[in-house]
Amino acid sequence: MILFFLTSGLFLGWSLGANDAANVFGSAVGSKMVTFRKAAIIASAAVIIGAVIQGAGGSDTLGKLGSVNAIGGSFTLSLAAALSVYMMTRFSLPVSTTQAIVGAIIGWNLFTGNRTDPATLSKIVITWISGPALGALFAILLFILLIAFKKRSGMHLIRFESVIRSGLIIVGAFGAYSLGANNIANVMGVFVPVFKLQDIDLGIISLSSDQQLFLFGGIAIALGILTYSKKVMETVGTNIFELSSESAMVVVLAQALVMFIFSSSGLSSLFVKIGLPPIPMVPVSSTQIIVGCVLGIGLYKGARNINFKLLGEIALGWLATPVIAGLFAYFSLFFMKNIFSVNVGYSIAEGTVIQEPSSITTATDLSAIMRYLLLGIIIAGFLTIAFFYFLERKKKRELRLSEEKFWKNLK
Amino acid sequence: MALFTRTTKNLILKIDEFFDNIELGLLVFREAIKAYLEKDMAAFARHLQKVDALEGNADNLQMSIENEMITHSILPQHREEVSKLLEELDEIIDSIKRSLYELNIELPYIPSSLNKDLISLTETSANAGEELIPAARAYFKAPYTVREKLLKVYYFEKETDKIGHDTKKRVFQEIKDIDLAQKAHLRYIIHHIENISDQAQKAADLLAGMAIKIVM
Repeated sequence: MILFFLTSGLFLGWSLGANDAANVFGSAVGSKMVTFRKAAIIASAAVIIGAVIQGAGGSDTLGKLGSVNAIGGSFTLSLAAALSVYMMTRFSLPVSTTQAIVGAIIGWNLFTGNRTDPATLSKIVITWISGPALGALFAILLFILLIAFKKRSGMHLIRFESVIRSGLIIVGAFGAYSLGANNIANVMGVFVPVFKLQDIDLGIISLSSDQQLFLFGGIAIALGILTYSKKVMETVGTNIFELSSESAMVVVLAQALVMFIFSSSGLSSLFVKIGLPPIPMVPVSSTQIIVGCVLGIGLYKGARNINFKLLGEIALGWLATPVIAGLFAYFSLFFMKNIFSVNVGYSIAEGTVIQEPSSITTATDLSAIMRYLLLGIIIAGFLTIAFFYFLERKKKRELRLSEEKFWKNLK
Repeated sequence: MALFTRTTKNLILKIDEFFDNIELGLLVFREAIKAYLEKDMAAFARHLQKVDALEGNADNLQMSIENEMITHSILPQHREEVSKLLEELDEIIDSIKRSLYELNIELPYIPSSLNKDLISLTETSANAGEELIPAARAYFKAPYTVREKLLKVYYFEKETDKIGHDTKKRVFQEIKDIDLAQKAHLRYIIHHIENISDQAQKAADLLAGMAIKIVM
């Protein structure tokens, strides 16, 4: 039953992987600089690592916005957010998973009579504006640096492109890591307060309860990437952002940096140490940041090729997504509570100490599943890498032989 | 990654070798025309053989470069244009080969009074082609400088047209000791020599567009 409640989060994770991985590797795959297979494997691995290692920050902030205290509530919120995303995608409206989940949490707060913390909400909303703005700024700075490097180095176009190709893979991996670190809060954040699992000690690493949840979410995102992101990546790369390979690298790097900044507690502590205000740990929308980055490059290049219609649609999405998700969550919670009699949460009076919710689980069987799952992932990972390595080797050998035969016959 | 580095290096070497072939072809073309005008048929045959080899090698290199770019997905965004540029450049050496073969087969009679004009025409036409090669090389290393390099190509192409026009005028209006058939034959040969610079201009037009696109 516990696993069933997680399915809505996993569904949200799957749709996030299917849609948002394109923001990271779309330009590289669409422009055929990197094959989809390579991009999908790298992105999947990096997303899982990012989610497990650095996923806590964003979840804490979402927890402050609304600490969902019943697993039925978490399930409903996730489902409402996922369905909002799905619905808006069906109508070709630009949509952000982050905004959907925030809207859904506010919907839960309204339904259960909990207060929405205005400080946390404003912190989140500010990042929806500052994220794309920061992305644009980073993109401009990085673009200037890259162009200066290209001019000064006098590198051969083909060699430069080979550097860009390697750069796209490294930056893409960093982008996927940041995506996992930042956006896992959208997928699993609402489950964190209601799930307590036993820690898993694997000798080299040990996974806390939250990290196990993030691992689950990370796997769901990875499955979304592997199963459904190909078409989206190819579309992003060819239709929406017609960028040169170096612009594509700059855009992905700028986006990854922004997402990393908004999920790195280490960097935030460093800011505090040197007397600066802390960086808010907030899940941000990768799509909106990437639009900010592309806009930045567009402005730098002369602002003639900016699609203002697309910008208008994005602004509309900004307003519509949280509202739709909030309403959806409110009505879903109503149905879940009154028709299916599921406990979706209760109101916490201000000043009271939050007690452990009734649906918190310490189930050992789930921990055992997690342990086997981890082992399975490691083995499957090795097998997949070995399979593709030998497949690639075979392909290269056949290609070399056919080349040799061709030139021999030509002579 | 190691394989990719090796492929990159090989491809750069092949592109450079391809350009070298075109450049050498243009040099040999000048020498071959001079040899023909001086009636040194042994030297002409040697130059013809050299052009033949260079053209064959350029064809192989062109094919191999295009093949490697597709197989290893190199320059996916500029591949088509680079292939087209190689094709246009290859057309220059093809024209050289065709012109020299036609001289070799048809053995047109060229009055010695026309030697100076034809040498000047050949030099200017070949210059247009030769100035194109540094511009094409610059596309890969310093695309910002391509357009300024192309100015010389356009200049020599115009000069070639002028010299060609004057030479044809001389053939038909001033030279009296050859008949009309020979004059028509000479006009045909002049067209062949002019064709090298026309071909260079065609490639320059393509290259100018490519340079803007890559710098943007």
